[in-house]
Amino acid sequence: MAMTECSCTPATTTALSAQRQEGRAAWSLTAPALVLMFVILLVPVLVAGFLSFTNYSLGNNGFDWVGTKNYEKLFTRSTYEKMFVATFTYVVTVVPISVGFGLGAALLINSLGRFREVYKTIYFLPVMATLLAMAIVWEFMLHPSIGMVNHVLEMSCGTLLEVIPFIANGCVDRFPLWLGDPDYAIWVVCFIGVWQGFGFNMVLYLAGLTSVHRELYHAAEMDGAKSGWERFRLVTWPALGPTTVFVVTISCIRAFQAFDTIEAFWPQGGGPNKSAYVMMFAIFEKGVQQNLIGIGSAITMLFLAFVMFLTLIQRWLVERKVHYG
Amino acid sequence: MAGLKIENIAKRFADVDVLKGVSLNIADGEFVSLVGPSGCGKSTLLRIIAGLEEQSEGDIHIGGKSVAGRRAADRNLSMVFQSYALYPHLTVLENIAVPLKMRRLNGWQRMPFLGRFMPGARRLVNDIDAEISQAANMLEIAHLLDRKPGQLSGGQRQRVALGRALVRNPAAFLLDEPLSNLDAKLRVQTRAEIAQLHRRLEATFIYVTHDQVEAMTMSDRIAVMMGGRILQCATPDVIYEDPDTIEVAEFIGSPKINILPVRCEAGGRLAFFDQTLDLRVTERINGAVSLGLRPEALQLCSENPVFQGTVAHTENLGAELYVQVGIPGLEGRIVVRADAARRADLGIGTLVGLRFDLARALVFDGQGQRVRCIETRATASSHEVA
Repeated sequence: MAMTECSCTPATTTALSAQRQEGRAAWSLTAPALVLMFVILLVPVLVAGFLSFTNYSLGNNGFDWVGTKNYEKLFTRSTYEKMFVATFTYVVTVVPISVGFGLGAALLINSLGRFREVYKTIYFLPVMATLLAMAIVWEFMLHPSIGMVNHVLEMSCGTLLEVIPFIANGCVDRFPLWLGDPDYAIWVVCFIGVWQGFGFNMVLYLAGLTSVHRELYHAAEMDGAKSGWERFRLVTWPALGPTTVFVVTISCIRAFQAFDTIEAFWPQGGGPNKSAYVMMFAIFEKGVQQNLIGIGSAITMLFLAFVMFLTLIQRWLVERKVHYG
Repeated sequence: MAGLKIENIAKRFADVDVLKGVSLNIADGEFVSLVGPSGCGKSTLLRIIAGLEEQSEGDIHIGGKSVAGRRAADRNLSMVFQSYALYPHLTVLENIAVPLKMRRLNGWQRMPFLGRFMPGARRLVNDIDAEISQAANMLEIAHLLDRKPGQLSGGQRQRVALGRALVRNPAAFLLDEPLSNLDAKLRVQTRAEIAQLHRRLEATFIYVTHDQVEAMTMSDRIAVMMGGRILQCATPDVIYEDPDTIEVAEFIGSPKINILPVRCEAGGRLAFFDQTLDLRVTERINGAVSLGLRPEALQLCSENPVFQGTVAHTENLGAELYVQVGIPGLEGRIVVRADAARRADLGIGTLVGLRFDLARALVFDGQGQRVRCIETRATASSHEVA
């Protein structure tokens, strides 16, 4: 017995030390990533979370603990009600339309033989362009008196197009002020959001379409799916499931982050009557311009909660539904 | 069920002729294999029959009617694809149901969620389910109906693809290399099952394969295709024993047929190197002549050999032994089938004599066409040389 113990102890110790060494190597290799993740991702979130319960301002020596007061403000004041309305209007409008247009453009481009690259480039241009610069161009175009949009609309006065009530009213009275009109401001921002965003979705969908097995279309044809719509429903749409989940999530997050158009159009105040006062702009205004770090952090936490919620839905959907493994 | 008539089909892609005028008559209930090396146009021909591709010239008749200009969905043909092409998001049951639903339900009844509440839908769907369970029982996949294709093995997917094809009683079945993604053992098993299925359904099958064993074992007739043409279309026996061209003889048969270069001497006598053979060609032919000998047409012998060589390599398949014999002056080796019991005597380098069955010798002219006018006659001269 003693013999065997003696003979096996050194072996066990070497095995143990090798294991320990391997463990140490593993930790030292993961450590930089862990430290970076902790320092630049988790710590700021935790700090923001902490500050959202205070009235801290940058430059102050101290701060008071205010409890959930900042959050109460968010859910009671009319400014923030406008913020939620503007944000959700933007998300609910821009996401479905830009996803739909992205898919439509991708399908059209995919069916093209020639000029594919040309169309792809044209639709992708707004994505590559700086939105701040583009917003200035849009501002010119939408100017009530010298803008191109209203000029074109005025040209339709006296033509058959006047049967459309919008044009008839415009000809009699005047065409909208666009950026100056609380009824139109958020919709103009939405329009620019779609214009700017759908090219990105199109590129994602084009990538998704390359993974659709060509033989499946032939199988669908043999099975009697005669119309393009039937083939789309039977083959294309299910195959694009994973892409769609990704595109919708990315679009949602991007829509929540809408900021630069609003900042360019209305640097002071987020649109006429705060009609385009979206969340990102509110964070910027409160946290940076007015140096109200507490309330800014509270909006940030809310923003993070929305994005987290979307990401969780995406993960759940991806695992549950769209991978047919 | 219906017969097919393929008339002078040609297909050009840009400036490449893939099919150069292919004609073929397929009787109702016949199992025809299109076999040939890759790139010979066999899959293209099948896809043209299916209607998935359009021919440049020629016409196809199904059940006596031309299908020119009729799209694939309207030709009432079923196809099993090489990749099976199952819809990954649908269960096995739904996959098999697709061709029936597409044909029997109208657009409203096919709508998701609401479709089942449309008038008449319930009865039709019940009929469809009954037919699917019948087909599933026939293919022994009834226990898989709730699974998705991703959860099935290759063999099971293959059965589901067959089920989807046979559930709706088409005019003919088109199978595009359906066994090529299966492992060897499963392939042998499925081969027999498809042949049985054909006997049971008494349906017309057109089967594309590059594997000559599949073609030989399953078909009523084999069409050997090469370079966009059908070289020969006949029963497996005829294709093997009596090929029309050297390409057919070389493509069919494993191990490959032995091709010996021979000379045609005065009077039509054939000679292998300086040795006159007991074969005489009775028609006038020009140029080189080749002699085709299947491995089983040759015998190892110690007395009166026609030619001699040394054993270069042996392949033992258990029941039989293939001996590769090197003949001095001949490029390549001659493969001979021998009794496995003789394994011990046939070490590498052993000197062996070979003779062949004159009646089974195939003679081809310089263009590779079969020369059928031959006479076999034993003469004294060949024995002397040996």
